[in-house]
Amino acid sequence: MDELKWLLVDFFQAMAAGLLVGGTYGLMCVGLGIIFGVMRVVNFAHGDFMMLGMYAAFYLVTGFGTLAFLGPYVAPIVGALLAGPIVFVIGWLLHKYLISQVTGARVMSAEAEGHYAQIILTLGIALVLANGGLILFGSTPVSVQTPLSRESWEIGLIFFNQARAIGFIIAILCAIGLYLFLTRTNLGKALRAAADNPIAAAYVGIDVDRSHRIAFGLGVGITAVAGGLIAISQSFQPYIGFDFVIVMYAGVVLGGMGSILGAFWGGLTIGLVQQMSTLVLPYQLQNTAIFVVFLIIVFFRPQGMFGRVWERT
Amino acid sequence: MKRQSLLQQYAAIAIFAVAFLAVGFAVRNSYYQLMMTLVLIWATMGLGWNMLSGYSGLISFGHAAFFGLGAYTVTIAFVKFGITPWIGVPLGTIVGMIAGVLIGIPTFRLRGHYFALAMLAYPLAMLYVFEWLGYQEVSLPMKRENPAAYMQFNDQRAYMVITMVVVVICMIISLHVERSRFGRSLLAIKQNLPAAEAAGINAARWRMYAMMLSAAMAAAAGGIYAVILLVVTPLTVFGALTSAQALIVTLFGGVGTFWGPIIGSAILIPLAETLHAELGHILPGIQGVVYGVAIIVIILVAPDGIYWKVRDRIMARRTLPPLPEPTPAVETASIAADTPRPAFGAPILELDDVSRAFGGLKAVEGVTLSVPEGTIYGIIGPNGAGKTTLFNVLNGFLTADRGTMRFAGQEIGKLKPHEVCARGVGRTFQVVRSFPRMTVLENVVIGAFVGSKTDDEAERLAMEALARVGMADHQAHMLAGGLTTRQLRLMELARALAPKPRLLLLDETLAGLGQNELDDVLPVIRRVNREGVTIVIIEHTMHAMVRLADHFSVLDHGRLIASGAPADVTRNPAVIEAYLGKKWMDRAKDQVA
Amino acid sequence: MLKIRSLDVAYGGLRALSGVSLDVERGQFVAVVGPNGAGKTTLFKTISGVVMPAAGEITYNGANLLAVAPAERAQLGIAHVPEGRQVFASMTVMENLEMGAYTRKGQARWSETLPMILQLFPILAERRDQLAGTLSGGEQQMLAIGRGLASAPELLMLDEPSMGLAPAIVDAIFERIQLIHKNGLTILLVEQRVAEALETCDHGYVLETGRVSMEGNHKTLMSDERVRRAYLGM
Repeated sequence: MDELKWLLVDFFQAMAAGLLVGGTYGLMCVGLGIIFGVMRVVNFAHGDFMMLGMYAAFYLVTGFGTLAFLGPYVAPIVGALLAGPIVFVIGWLLHKYLISQVTGARVMSAEAEGHYAQIILTLGIALVLANGGLILFGSTPVSVQTPLSRESWEIGLIFFNQARAIGFIIAILCAIGLYLFLTRTNLGKALRAAADNPIAAAYVGIDVDRSHRIAFGLGVGITAVAGGLIAISQSFQPYIGFDFVIVMYAGVVLGGMGSILGAFWGGLTIGLVQQMSTLVLPYQLQNTAIFVVFLIIVFFRPQGMFGRVWERT
Repeated sequence: MKRQSLLQQYAAIAIFAVAFLAVGFAVRNSYYQLMMTLVLIWATMGLGWNMLSGYSGLISFGHAAFFGLGAYTVTIAFVKFGITPWIGVPLGTIVGMIAGVLIGIPTFRLRGHYFALAMLAYPLAMLYVFEWLGYQEVSLPMKRENPAAYMQFNDQRAYMVITMVVVVICMIISLHVERSRFGRSLLAIKQNLPAAEAAGINAARWRMYAMMLSAAMAAAAGGIYAVILLVVTPLTVFGALTSAQALIVTLFGGVGTFWGPIIGSAILIPLAETLHAELGHILPGIQGVVYGVAIIVIILVAPDGIYWKVRDRIMARRTLPPLPEPTPAVETASIAADTPRPAFGAPILELDDVSRAFGGLKAVEGVTLSVPEGTIYGIIGPNGAGKTTLFNVLNGFLTADRGTMRFAGQEIGKLKPHEVCARGVGRTFQVVRSFPRMTVLENVVIGAFVGSKTDDEAERLAMEALARVGMADHQAHMLAGGLTTRQLRLMELARALAPKPRLLLLDETLAGLGQNELDDVLPVIRRVNREGVTIVIIEHTMHAMVRLADHFSVLDHGRLIASGAPADVTRNPAVIEAYLGKKWMDRAKDQVA
Repeated sequence: MLKIRSLDVAYGGLRALSGVSLDVERGQFVAVVGPNGAGKTTLFKTISGVVMPAAGEITYNGANLLAVAPAERAQLGIAHVPEGRQVFASMTVMENLEMGAYTRKGQARWSETLPMILQLFPILAERRDQLAGTLSGGEQQMLAIGRGLASAPELLMLDEPSMGLAPAIVDAIFERIQLIHKNGLTILLVEQRVAEALETCDHGYVLETGRVSMEGNHKTLMSDERVRRAYLGM
């Protein structure tokens, strides 16, 4: 009887951890969802933009201590949020000068050819970012310091790690903020329109190139914020982008192409899968579980949970 | 521009091998010798990647899976079972090939970026699995007695020779693939999958062969890598950088040619390794940055790689004579355009109640028609009437929801496109995608594969087809990139005619041609018809159609609304209404009344 | 208002338009008819800026339109209702209309334009929160026209509004188009359905294989046998 009780506790603990982690994963996938799911741009470097966000947060909070005046509880959160605009700018610039050469209305009609160039170019960017990061930041794993990562709240017998819990809450708030931006503001709607149908968008007077640029910056910026939040509860090094690429794509594909809301649910589910897989699989194989899930979705239900249905954001 | 002969290519390979080894032997420093060997290893890896992704266009990010399997096979065989790498490397190659098949079977069902992403997942999964299995770092033991039997040499140059042998084998295999129907078929698949299948190419089979060879080569590279470096970790052999390197050296050097990986490897590997050696301690990861910058630059400036960029420049400099207009071979042909035709034969194509819907939209609904052998049969109708859908169903790209289709008395409803083609049905497509860097003959010969057993026979069929459309002999060896629209259409026609089909489906072959151009193309179609080929043609250009077709069937909103001789059909009220609108028809009726 | 002179356009390696000239005066209803592949849609694409001509000129209100960036042309008061509707399928009906009002003038006049559009097409008011991708063909066409009107344009260009729609719905749509014209908007219509297009137009052009083969007012064109031949070849 006791055995069963502890098994249940383990189960719910894993689920709780999965949910908390899933929140930030969800936000991370929303960023990719904007780019891959809606704009249909294959961004191989997405994980590396997240890495940049993590390091931006790190240097703001711990490395240079710019935000140290805010205190150890608030600074990490602000750092994560500020990582967004910083990476937005980097993404905006990269899109303007490099990525737009292989995407955009010109390429909308070309199928494999357009994607081929996108994949390769963003792979190149990924390599430069990850290895550039290695040069700039060194290979020693770091994390954003906060006493939160060592403390937990306890509800019943389940422990909720504070750093992860705060990350979860902020992630949800950001997702809601993004949702409101995309549905309530003119700019947000223009972005959706430009992604939905670039030709019609041009006809109504929307500057499609500019919209795509902003959307790209937004996508990588959001993921950077998620990265900043993840950085509070785990350590990272410049190559972490590669680890997360499949996780991100798994989340977006699971959630369904074209659906940003779906991307969030997809990321959340992936977080759950990852944490709960530790119940049956050894720790080192948790990412393998994600790959298996990814392969299963791609083979059997490529439209994901919410795809192919005309879903709002 | 005739392609270089086989002998010339062999000579080039030999010169390369000898020159490379000569340099290698002259170099004293064992570090540089190692670097040269690494160039060869990555060239092999690149050749393997090229075999699948370069030739057929399916971008793989997961070739590290095969590389790693090759490396671990050699390592585990040696460490656990004491098997010498002389056996271990070939064994690893076989393991790689099997892995290729197992991975290919499910993954080939995916397209484009899904394929690339799925391929990425495999080596990463293997990485985690091997780490978990406890193979964090495995060293190959040094053998004191008889090291040569275990592929262990003091002199680095011995490894260079061994690896060069592997490289040359891979180059020769690639060379032969390129020149054979295997390679041509892969290229056709890469260029335009539906057109390739309609021309009779069994895409699934060729892709699988390509995957097997590709995986085998990558595994061989991995096996030798293990032998040379003597230490294997999951990250180095299964890691993303390994997959990326295969891709990068090929992309940089030239995709779709076996010289590409050689060039790319010879330039990038020494560059990266040197930078790593010199600056690695201050700038760790400089290698990755170099590779990244290399691909970014190449994809923007020379997307197909250095080899093609240089070759195009050289070709452009040699002033090519402008393509002459086709000789009046059309008139001197054996059968003149106005020879009376034999009486129309029995129905060669019969459709009965063929229907196909997409969701709620009935694209084709209850179409029943019968095409007598030897006719030119036109299928017309306003935009969106369902004509192309009908062709796609006929061809095998779509299945009918109900109804039967018979060709020469045999049911074809369940056949795949290449099988339909094999039965004797040819098809042209609206968008003509040629291979601009290949000759006209090479473009046409792709259609001939399905009707021939040997490559020579295929070439002969292709030349015959070209003659039939009036493209004279010397045009056959011109690069397709310089053709006019009219000539491209004729070439496309030749490709469909190459296997000597009994029935030809022409999909808007005349679209957009001006009056002069029509005057050249129409007689060709008539002549082909008089030689006995039944033609079913979809067209919008009514002026041309009424001159060409014996019989019209009119489709509107998926249904057949009229059928008969052109003169009757174009006066049929239902047809006029379909094209010009109900109000026009009503007014016309009012006027008559 | 809109003057096109000797337009030559190549599209996809083919001569889509050769020496096309046409005029649209303010307040007029001009129709361009012709069989498939005649170049009608290419004409619109050139006016909207999606395609650049090889030769020729287009002036709008006296100024060179070709010098204006495509996204800016909407700001000038040219609304393009594209072939095949091209609604924003993942957005609601209301959001589609809001996107139509993206221009400065559209924003300024939104409070007047919206009720006008909803009165013209009551079905859109009914379905305001529905996703545009789930509407029927006829409803999408109405939405596309409404979206065009939302920019408070001076010139409304309609590209084959009847395509893929049942005759009864086509009638309803053309009725509305006539109403819009009566309310003072200049209209340039491209259509395959000849009679519907020519019935109410002030002036018509027949486009065949990229050239203007005939023009005239609707009476002359409606009874001309050559028009029929343009479509059916004989």
